Amino acid sequence: MVDFSLSPEAESLRDLARKFARTEMAPHAAECDRTPRFPEEIYRKAHALGLMNLNVPSEYGGSGLGLFDQCLIVEELAYACAGMTTSIIANCLALEPILLGGTPEQRSRFLSPFCASYQLASFCLTEPSGGSDAGALRTRARRDGDAYVLDGEKCFITNAPHAGLYTVFATVDPTLRHRGVTAFVVPRSAEGITPGKDEEKMGHRASSTSTVRFDKVRVPVSDRLLADGEGFGLAMRTLDQTRTPIGALATGIGQAALDHAARYALKRETFGKPIAEHQAIQIKLANMTQAVRAARLLTWQAAWTIDRGEKGTLESSVAKCFASDAALLVADEAIQTFGGYGYMKEYPVEKLLRDAKLTQIYEGANEIQRTVIARELLRGYA
Amino acid sequence: MEIVVCVKPVPEAESRLRANASGTAPDTDGVKFVLAGYDESAVEQALLLRQAVPGSKVHAVSLGPPSRTDEVLRAALALGSDSATAAESDAPPMADPIATARGLATAIAARGPCDLLLFGKQAGDDEEGLVGGATAEALGLPFVGFVVDLRFDAAASRLRFRRSVERGEESWESPLPLAVGLQQAWNDPRTATLPAILRSRKAPLARHAAGPGAAVAAASVAERFALPPPRQGAKMIAYRDPQQAASQLVRLLREEAKVFP
Ligand SMILES: Cc1cc2nc3c(=O)[nH]c(=O)nc-3n(C[C@H](O)[C@H](O)[C@H](O)COP(=O)(O)OP(=O)(O)OC[C@H]3O[C@@H](n4cnc5c(N)ncnc54)[C@H](O)[C@@H]3O)c2cc1C
Repeated sequence: MVDFSLSPEAESLRDLARKFARTEMAPHAAECDRTPRFPEEIYRKAHALGLMNLNVPSEYGGSGLGLFDQCLIVEELAYACAGMTTSIIANCLALEPILLGGTPEQRSRFLSPFCASYQLASFCLTEPSGGSDAGALRTRARRDGDAYVLDGEKCFITNAPHAGLYTVFATVDPTLRHRGVTAFVVPRSAEGITPGKDEEKMGHRASSTSTVRFDKVRVPVSDRLLADGEGFGLAMRTLDQTRTPIGALATGIGQAALDHAARYALKRETFGKPIAEHQAIQIKLANMTQAVRAARLLTWQAAWTIDRGEKGTLESSVAKCFASDAALLVADEAIQTFGGYGYMKEYPVEKLLRDAKLTQIYEGANEIQRTVIARELLRGYA
Repeated sequence: MEIVVCVKPVPEAESRLRANASGTAPDTDGVKFVLAGYDESAVEQALLLRQAVPGSKVHAVSLGPPSRTDEVLRAALALGSDSATAAESDAPPMADPIATARGLATAIAARGPCDLLLFGKQAGDDEEGLVGGATAEALGLPFVGFVVDLRFDAAASRLRFRRSVERGEESWESPLPLAVGLQQAWNDPRTATLPAILRSRKAPLARHAAGPGAAVAAASVAERFALPPPRQGAKMIAYRDPQQAASQLVRLLREEAKVFP
């Protein structure tokens, strides 16, 4: 029998995230969006409460949560500010390759000191020449004795200017395409790393995104994850884990938009009655409710599937793709419900639309998700 | 120092209470019970004292059925309490304070030594503020209420604290054991961390039947529980232009509320 109720433990984790989101994040969301500002003091507090390295087992100083609990937390955080949430969960993305591909020695060498205090890490896969085709990397890793030398540029890297640790995907031989991709763990202190300036973004403006240049960066062989050519599979397995929380993040944006719209619809009067009594608005609210609830359930199902030890590729792609499309639709309808006020920066809903848009693009654009979904689906019919 | 903190499960602030079928108590169905602010402050005070007095222990005690006490006790554990004890009772929420006090006293006595017994100012739901004094009485402990700034002077083996009174403050000192009711949230209670929450889920809860103290006929029995009638007369001014809204407000205050001529 399937059971949709939360355990008391899951509820208490959700409550912690909710309290943090509403008291520490929400009051600064508009200001960080407007300025824009990277609110490091909030990220520090998130770390202190254990809300940062959610996927890292407690033996390495993380929170050791399964995907389902991670999703509960991410939805709550994103309800208050999606941009801050992107920066808070970027560590999970950056550290996942070490969890999946690191030897026990590498895991304790990298993760334990990293998690012990507040630090950020960045996942460096995307390059200026292309993100979706992750097999076509141009960043080179040339073997030189007992080290590799990295050369190249990454772009759109979350938290890059603030990170102390990078997981970098580079190719030992571009002609091998994805079979040449190799993963490395590189501390910021390594010589030759230059993060670019913060990009001006449409949304998620409390998060920081930039290029990172690698100029003759020496990385000892002992800091390579898995073997040469095993980096592509590692990146894909990483994204299999982290895609589902993006569904949760999008659900949080959608829930926020729905809450704003419903409250506003009860207060705003036109033609002598609250707009919530006009059927056109009711239909909007009903559609928004369906979209948000379906997004949440698909996300829960994907997380539950993966927590059971299954790969969950189809489920996580469905969740990420559906929830992000739903977030965009719901944020759009929330603006429409607010009318002209919705278009004004003084009101909170236009930010939600700008924030929702990213969830269709990063961690695998939705076009790619649909390719994956179709492939997984058709496999069952072939 | 063995510090016992009594924590009461109260309905979450956002819950929408209704009367139960017999109209004598709130309907608890679907209502989430939580550790309220005043008691969070009391736990915080206990933790600060434990930090200041090496070797101290903090014990949380809560009365009610497990469906209400357990989450509150786990919250106290997550904040840092060393142990948690449920005084099991099927009394309805906001029950008779004397019966509650007797039940708590039984469980506190059964739990073990108690040098300092702490209470929040009052419960976050019925706000009676009676259980602290009554529990102290049942345990034969002296009780001081409205206390702020509690410190332990180890050399003199005495507690020093201040007490808010009308138009001022009193400074006190007292030997142990003692029961203390705190003034409202003057400290800034910590937030439990995620690892502490996970640990608290696995910690054992001690259970004591709250009777026979609580089983003794309650001194008072609620005859009727009802919500206050919805407020009348509030008028919302829907506005776009603040100046226009202000003049409308002034007109209403003058003509309808007749606050000024
Ligand atoms: C704010 C932000 C933060 C980010 N953070 C990170 C990070 O921390 N680390 C990191 O490595 N990356 C990060 N990214 C990069 C992100 O993952 C990529 O932008 C994304 O994968 C798409 O790559 P691209 O931008 O190069 O688009 P392209 O790959 O050039 O795609 C352009 C368009 O073509 C579509 N398309 C591409 N190939 C196909 C196909 N085969 N079939 C159908 N349609 C296709 C895409 O869906 C898209 O609509 C971030 C991006 C942003 C905007």
